Amino acid sequence: MNPDRSVHSNGPRPYMNPYLAGLILGAVLLAAFLVLGTGLGASGGIARVGAAAQGALMPRHVAASPYFGAWGSNPLSYYLVFMFAGTLLGGLVSAVAARRVEPQLERGPTASPRRRILMALSGGVLAGFASRLASGCTSGQALTGGAMLATGSLLFLVSLFAAGYAAAWFARRQWS
Amino acid sequence: MITTFFGNDALGSSTAMAVSLLVGFGFGFALERAGFGSSRKLGGIFYFRDMTVLRVMFTAMLTAMLGLHLALSLGIVASDQIYFLPTVYGAQIVGGMLFGVGFGLACWCPGTAAVGVASGRLDALIYLFGAVLGSILFNELYGLLEPLYTWGGSGVKFIWEALGVSAPFFALIFSGLGVAAFWFAEWIERRTAGTGPYFGSPFLKAFSVAVLVAAFAVAVLPSTGIDRAAVSRLGPPPETAILQTMQAGEDHVEPEALADRLMTGDPSLLLVDIRTPGEYSAFHIKGALSVAPAELPETLAPRRDKGTIVLYSNGMTHPAQARDALARMGFNNVYILTDGLQGFMRRVLKPVSLREAPLTAEMTAQVDAWRGFFLGTATARADDSQGSAGDMPGLVETAWLNERLGRGDVRIIETRSQPAYNGGHLPGAVRMDPEHFRGVVGGVSSMLLPVDMIVRHLGLLGIRPEMTIVVVPSEKIMDATLIGTALERAGHRRYAILNGGWEKWLAERRPVDTLLPAITETAYPSPREADPFTVDYRTVLEHVHRRSAVLLDVRPADYFSGAKSDEARAGHIPGAVNRPFADDLTTTDGITSFKPRAELEEAYARMIPSKDTTVVVSCRTGHQASQTRFVLQNILGYRKVFWYDGGWAEWSSRPELPVETSP
Repeated sequence: MNPDRSVHSNGPRPYMNPYLAGLILGAVLLAAFLVLGTGLGASGGIARVGAAAQGALMPRHVAASPYFGAWGSNPLSYYLVFMFAGTLLGGLVSAVAARRVEPQLERGPTASPRRRILMALSGGVLAGFASRLASGCTSGQALTGGAMLATGSLLFLVSLFAAGYAAAWFARRQWS
Repeated sequence: MITTFFGNDALGSSTAMAVSLLVGFGFGFALERAGFGSSRKLGGIFYFRDMTVLRVMFTAMLTAMLGLHLALSLGIVASDQIYFLPTVYGAQIVGGMLFGVGFGLACWCPGTAAVGVASGRLDALIYLFGAVLGSILFNELYGLLEPLYTWGGSGVKFIWEALGVSAPFFALIFSGLGVAAFWFAEWIERRTAGTGPYFGSPFLKAFSVAVLVAAFAVAVLPSTGIDRAAVSRLGPPPETAILQTMQAGEDHVEPEALADRLMTGDPSLLLVDIRTPGEYSAFHIKGALSVAPAELPETLAPRRDKGTIVLYSNGMTHPAQARDALARMGFNNVYILTDGLQGFMRRVLKPVSLREAPLTAEMTAQVDAWRGFFLGTATARADDSQGSAGDMPGLVETAWLNERLGRGDVRIIETRSQPAYNGGHLPGAVRMDPEHFRGVVGGVSSMLLPVDMIVRHLGLLGIRPEMTIVVVPSEKIMDATLIGTALERAGHRRYAILNGGWEKWLAERRPVDTLLPAITETAYPSPREADPFTVDYRTVLEHVHRRSAVLLDVRPADYFSGAKSDEARAGHIPGAVNRPFADDLTTTDGITSFKPRAELEEAYARMIPSKDTTVVVSCRTGHQASQTRFVLQNILGYRKVFWYDGGWAEWSSRPELPVETSP
């Protein structure tokens, strides 16, 4: 598909045609619909890691808390946790095969590491919080609910990008 | 026809976990192939320099959308096999914006960050760490956020419904929108970054045509489409599920069913009384455990999803709130008792003779069996003259008290005269003249003293709030009820009256001595609020004008009518009804006691429409009225019984107040 692919180079391979990658991603989502009966999800698995971590430190507090408490004493025993593990694994296999594993803090050439770390951390806290509020993230709400044509999920998608563009404009220096 | 793990309710199975791992693998693989292991590439969409996110996401969405609708149309999968995401407008819009800010700042989202970590990106690891913290933060703030979390919850909503078009038609429009977005992405990328490699390429042309043809094929297929009814039936979010369960009454246990299960001694059933310990000790359903609402999660933790937990209180509000909270903590086996203890009394324990509808012989036997089990066989029949504490709440029997003589947590108060008391009294009993609790207040004589003076008295009697007080009357039960009223004003509700009083105790030859009781003075705490049951003449006058209460005058009939009078004016409060206090009593062999409960129930049911009717009880000075108030509130369970302490002595002395006489 890609005419530039060079099998002889030792550097990272070029990315897949995005439309083809989208087609594969869509097929995976469709398979999830037809086999699991649910869509994809990532933030649910992360939140459950949070519940397990907090539960290890303060078991009684978590057991009695109204949100995490509902997940029982073993929050990791849930299909979304396994899906998240699979996502890590699938990403790893693909990245290794394409020689794209490269430890680094990705940022603009002149941006300070501190700025980038701050952005990644605050973005993560917001995402963890907001994905619980909206019961899903880009995969669980936007992609899954969008493919279902669910009203709330499409509103989530629109709100996401509207706010994302605004925030990215303020955060643009990390890429300079 | 496919049965999904969701449709089979098997998402918790280990097979589903394995399948999820596989699906996740494909998900991560596709994301990485697309280049989403790089935040710079992901963030490109926000600066129009790399529109890969748009291309990949929209293609994936269209693929899955067309595939799903095709599968539904062809009957490959049924609507009830898919978990359709519910719409919660407020939470999804606010959540979407917050999430978008996070995406804009970090240029990661949870799924891509997983792939980023796999690609060695430190910023992805930091992002995921933050997301874990953010999730914990949400859990900590959930109490405050709950209204937002459920704000605009609307169940499953489809965009095509909102627009008034069919799903396949909207899918076609959406596909057209997607194709336009692809061309826009290529064009803007070419303008800003000089890339946009597929703009006008044969590939993009072919791909665009393929998407539109597929969408058109889905649109023209004869389609059963989404079964709206099946979708609405399933998969609500937890919060909605709780609400729906409650609305459907699926979380209720009927009193009769509970009674039957309790009688079988079923060990999987746990009955929990969430009222105050005082109310619990006064009366509770046999076999119930007393747990304060705040301690429910911890106490019930070992029974989570094991057997059946039934909560009850007097009504249903508090158990419903407690059940709601427990359900959110993952307790799926908590039920509440329909109509609470009141319902249990009415539907299970109410004697056959008092029931409105005649019962079949079978039902009569059933009610007797329930009463025998829950109240003890001695009181199984309604026409028994001697009630137990269960049948006559507010009273205790001589045998009960005899067992508790000498106990530090029980204080006995006798009301007889001093010489009589000194000649022999119940062991450990103190003497209290009810007049010690009365005096001139606001110019009106014989008023119950202010609470700070009452608590001083209680302190001198060595009474502490946790003590159970038993008042022993002698002939005049109203002496005991007046002391009871003083105790209630001080906030002390743990008291009972000895059924049959001193005379019965003596007749049964129970222990008597002449020793001084050992008393250590205490400082009884003064309640912060005024007692809730005393009303003054202004309130009564308002009730007269608004006819908003049953005004119950308990003086002898000739005083009520005005034939006799020893006050400023003769007669009664306009609109009042008469039930002399002495009508509630019966004397046999020199022992005065209350009439059987059944008789009292019947008499008052004729005068007062329901147990929630507001009743104001009065007499001449409040003394006799304290007895009727005790009967109504403490024995019969009327819930809104007020006491006009000033009574006729005050009312007749205020010339501005209206008076009525009856022929």
